[in-house]
Amino acid sequence: MQTNKTPDIRLEGLTVGYGKTAVVSDIDVTLPGGKISVILGGSGCGKSTLLKHILMLQPALTGRIMIGSHDLDKLDRRGKHCLRQRMGVLFQDGALLGSLSLGDNVALPLREHTRLDEKTIRQRVLAKLALVGLDEFHDYYPNELSGGMRKRAGLARGMVMDPPLLFCDEPTSGLDPVTAAELDLLLLELKKSFEMTLVVVSHDLDSMRTIADHVVVLGEGKVLFNGTRDELEATTDEYLRRFLDRQALERTSPRLTMPALDVTVMKRDCSKYLSEA
Amino acid sequence: MMHGRRKQLSPIAHLGDATLRFVGDTGAMFLFLLEASARIFSSLGQFRKTVRQVYFIGVKSISVITLIGLFTGMVIGLQMHYALAKFGAEGFLGAAVALSLVRELGPVLTAIMITGRAGSSMTAEIGVMRISEQVDALRVMDINPIGYLVSPKLAASIICFPILTAFFDLVGMAGGYLTGVLLLGGNHGVYFYRIQAYMKMSDVSGGFIKSLVFAVVVCTVSCFMGYYTHTRRDAVGPEAVSQATTAGVVTSCILILLSDYILTSLLF
Repeated sequence: MQTNKTPDIRLEGLTVGYGKTAVVSDIDVTLPGGKISVILGGSGCGKSTLLKHILMLQPALTGRIMIGSHDLDKLDRRGKHCLRQRMGVLFQDGALLGSLSLGDNVALPLREHTRLDEKTIRQRVLAKLALVGLDEFHDYYPNELSGGMRKRAGLARGMVMDPPLLFCDEPTSGLDPVTAAELDLLLLELKKSFEMTLVVVSHDLDSMRTIADHVVVLGEGKVLFNGTRDELEATTDEYLRRFLDRQALERTSPRLTMPALDVTVMKRDCSKYLSEA
Repeated sequence: MMHGRRKQLSPIAHLGDATLRFVGDTGAMFLFLLEASARIFSSLGQFRKTVRQVYFIGVKSISVITLIGLFTGMVIGLQMHYALAKFGAEGFLGAAVALSLVRELGPVLTAIMITGRAGSSMTAEIGVMRISEQVDALRVMDINPIGYLVSPKLAASIICFPILTAFFDLVGMAGGYLTGVLLLGGNHGVYFYRIQAYMKMSDVSGGFIKSLVFAVVVCTVSCFMGYYTHTRRDAVGPEAVSQATTAGVVTSCILILLSDYILTSLLF
C-alpha cells in the first residue's frame, strides 16, 4: 500500500537477465516510497542487472515492474519519457560525458528538458554542485577529477531535475572510507530533505548498515532476503549469516597462508635493489 | 544481442550464422540511419552540436586533404603527361587531371581520408561512451543517444564532405599544374583552357552526389559500429572499441568503393 508522497516500486514475479539467460528469477519485492532500499549481494549476483531493468534500459524476461500505479511495460512512449525525467541515476563510475565540463554535465538534463534560461540553469547547477561539495569545480572536465569527485558529480547530475526517485549503482565502491561515509550521509540527507525514494545497489555492508531502511539480498539467482535492516541483522538464516559474517572476516583477516614467492624463480634478479647498501 | 565468445560452429552453420548477422546488421544500420536523419532538426541545440562537428570533421581535415590532394594531383600530372606525350596529346593534360579528380579520385580519396581521420574517431568516441555507461546515462536522462550523438555528426558530414571534395579537386588541379606545367614545361594557358572546355556540369554534380552518398555511408557505418560496440562477439571492453574502430574503417572503405562503382555506372 502506498502511504508516502513518493511512489513505491513493486517488482512482481520479475525475472531479469540478458537475452534468454535469467540472472535472477521470481522477484516479488516492494521497495517502499520515501525510504532508502539497498539491494545487496555479492559481485555478479544480478544487482546491477536488476537496476537496469527498473531503469527501463532492458526489458524484463517475465513479470512486471510497477512504479506507483504504472506498469513500466504498458507505459506508452510519452509516459516513459515523463517517468525517465522524474528519475535520477548515479552510475557506478559517474558516467559523466567526457566531452563536457562538470557544469555542462549537470546542466544537460535542464537544457534538454526545460525552458529555463541560462542564468537560472547556472544557478541551479551551482546549487547542486555545492550540495555535493563541487561548486568550485564547475569548469573542470571529468578526466581532471578523482573517482570520488566523479561519483559526487554524477549524483549532482542525477539530482538536478529534483527527481522523486533516485537510483544509485554501487555509490561507495572504490572510495576511501571517509569519502564513502560522506556519500552515505549525503544520501541520508537527501532522503530527509527531499523525501526521495532511493534505491541503492551495493555490496558494501557498512554502507547498508548506515543508510538502509529496507534491504533486499540477492544470491544464487533468487531473492534471499526482503525486509528491514534490523530484520536482516537478526536473521538466523545460515547463508545470510555466512554472507554477512564472511564479508567482515575478509576485511579483518588477510590471508597469509600462501608462502612468499621465492626470488630464485624470478626471471631477473632484482634483490640487490631492495637490500641495504 | 549476443554476449560472450563465438561458439564453434560447423562451416555451413557458420555461413548461415554470418548471413543472418549480415542481414540483421544491414537492417539495423538502415533503421539507425533513419532515426539519426529524423533527429537532425529536432531542436535548436542540434545546430550548435552540428557546428562543433563541422569544425571537427571539416576544418580539422583541411590540412590532410590539402596534402593528399596536392600530391595526388602532382602524381596524376606526372603520369598523365608521360602517357599523353606518347600520343602527342600533352595539351589534354588539364582535362585529364581535372576529369579524373572531379569524377573519381576527389570524392573517393576525400571520403577515405575522412574515414581514417574522423570516422575512426567517431567510432572510438561512441564506443568508449557505450562501454563506460555514458550512452545508458543519456537514455535514463531521457535524451535520445542517437539524436544527441549521431545526428549532429551526420549533418556535419553531409555539409563537410562535398566542401572538402571540392577543396581536394582544386588543390589536386593545382598539383597537376605544378608537375605538368611548371616542372615538365606544359603550356599553362592550354592546361586551364582544356579544363574549361572538357569539364561539364554533370561531371561536377556527379562528383558532389558521390561525396554526399559517401558522407552518409561513412558517418552511418562509423557511428553504428561505435554504438553497438557492446554487442560485439569477438571482444569486450576496450578491445571491443578497437575492434569496432577497425571494423568501422574497413567497412566504410569497402562500401565507399562499392557505392563508387554503382554510382559511376549510374551517373556517367
